[in-house]
Amino acid sequence: MSFQTRIVLILGSLLTLGFMLKRIRNSKLQIEDSLFWIFFSGLLLVVSIFPAIVFRASELLGIQSPINFMFLLIIFTLVVRLFSLTTKLSQMDEKLKRIAQTAALDGIDSDNKMDGELK
Amino acid sequence: MKKLLIIIPAYNEQESITRVVENLKQVCPSYDFVVVNDGSTDSTAGICRKNGYPLLDLPVNLGLSSAMQTGMRYANRRGYDCTMQFDADGQHLPEYIEPLMRKLEDGADIVIGSRFINVRKPKTLRMAGSYLLSWTIRFTTGQKICDPTSGMRLYGCEMIREFAANLNYAPEPDTISYLIKNGARVEEIQVDMAERKAGKSYFNFYGSLHYMVKMIFSILLIQWFRKRERYSVKGKRGV
Repeated sequence: MSFQTRIVLILGSLLTLGFMLKRIRNSKLQIEDSLFWIFFSGLLLVVSIFPAIVFRASELLGIQSPINFMFLLIIFTLVVRLFSLTTKLSQMDEKLKRIAQTAALDGIDSDNKMDGELK
Repeated sequence: MKKLLIIIPAYNEQESITRVVENLKQVCPSYDFVVVNDGSTDSTAGICRKNGYPLLDLPVNLGLSSAMQTGMRYANRRGYDCTMQFDADGQHLPEYIEPLMRKLEDGADIVIGSRFINVRKPKTLRMAGSYLLSWTIRFTTGQKICDPTSGMRLYGCEMIREFAANLNYAPEPDTISYLIKNGARVEEIQVDMAERKAGKSYFNFYGSLHYMVKMIFSILLIQWFRKRERYSVKGKRGV
C-alpha cells in the first residue's frame, strides 16, 4: 500500500466523519444511523495509520497485493451494510402500508359516524 | 400546582396493563394519564378501550422513544406543565410520583426516580452497563447520575417542548447528558422499584450490547458536536 493511498484513505475517512457529525449537528441524521459510518471511518483510519495490519492480513489470506485486501475489506463491509439497509427498507415499506391502511380504515369509521349524526 | 400527564408506553403488556393502571388510579387519582400503545400485537389496545383508559394507539411499532415522543406531543398540545414516563410492566410505583413532583416544583427540569442514591448499586453483570454509563456521564458533564438507565423520569415544561419537537431526543442517558451540558437541571430522588411481574424485558443480550455501544459513543463523541445555541434553559428563564 503506497504512501499516497494511505493519505487518500486518511483524508477520506476524516471527511466522512466530519460530514456525518455535521449532519447530526444540524439535526438531519439520527444518532443511531451514524454509528455505522463512524465505525467505518474509524476502521479506514486505523488501517491507513497502521498498514502493518493490512500486510499481515493479506499474507495470511494469500492475497498478493495488500491494496486488494483493502478493496475486499471495504466491499465486504459495504455489502453487509447494504443487506441490513435492505432489511430495514423492507420493514419500513411494511409499516408505511400499515399506517396508510389504518388511516383509510379510521377514515371510513368516522365517515359512518358522521352519516349517523346527519340522519 | 403543576398539571401532570403520566405517559404509559405499552408494548404487548396485556397481562399487566390493567393492574398497573388501576393501581395508579387508586394511588394518584388526581393526575391525568395516557396509555401509548406502541403497535402491540396482543390485546393491549383492546383492554384499554374496554376499560375506558385514555389511549394513543400507534398503528405500528415505533420503539420506546417514539412512543414517548407521541406522549410528549399530546402533552404539548393539551398544555400540560410536566410529563412522566411510567412503565406498563409494573416496575414503577405510583407512591413515588408525589416526591418527584415536589422536586420538580423546586425548579428542576428533569427528575429521575433513582434506585441507587441511598442504596448501593449491586456489582453484577447486569449493572456493569449502568456503572459504565454513570461514569461516562460524570466524565462528560461533571454531574453524578446514580441511575442513568431508570425509565422513571419526570420532565418539566421546557423539556416537553424540546422532546416533542426535535430529532435525537430519545428519553435515554445520552439525551440526559446532552441536556445537562446545555444547562438543564437534572435531579435524582431515591425510589424503590418492583420486579416486572409479566411480559418480557425489552432487552436481550445482543440488544443490551448494541444499546451500550450506542449510548457510550453518543455520550462520549457525538454529544460534543451537537448544536447548542438553539436551547438554553437559563436563557429562556431570564427572558
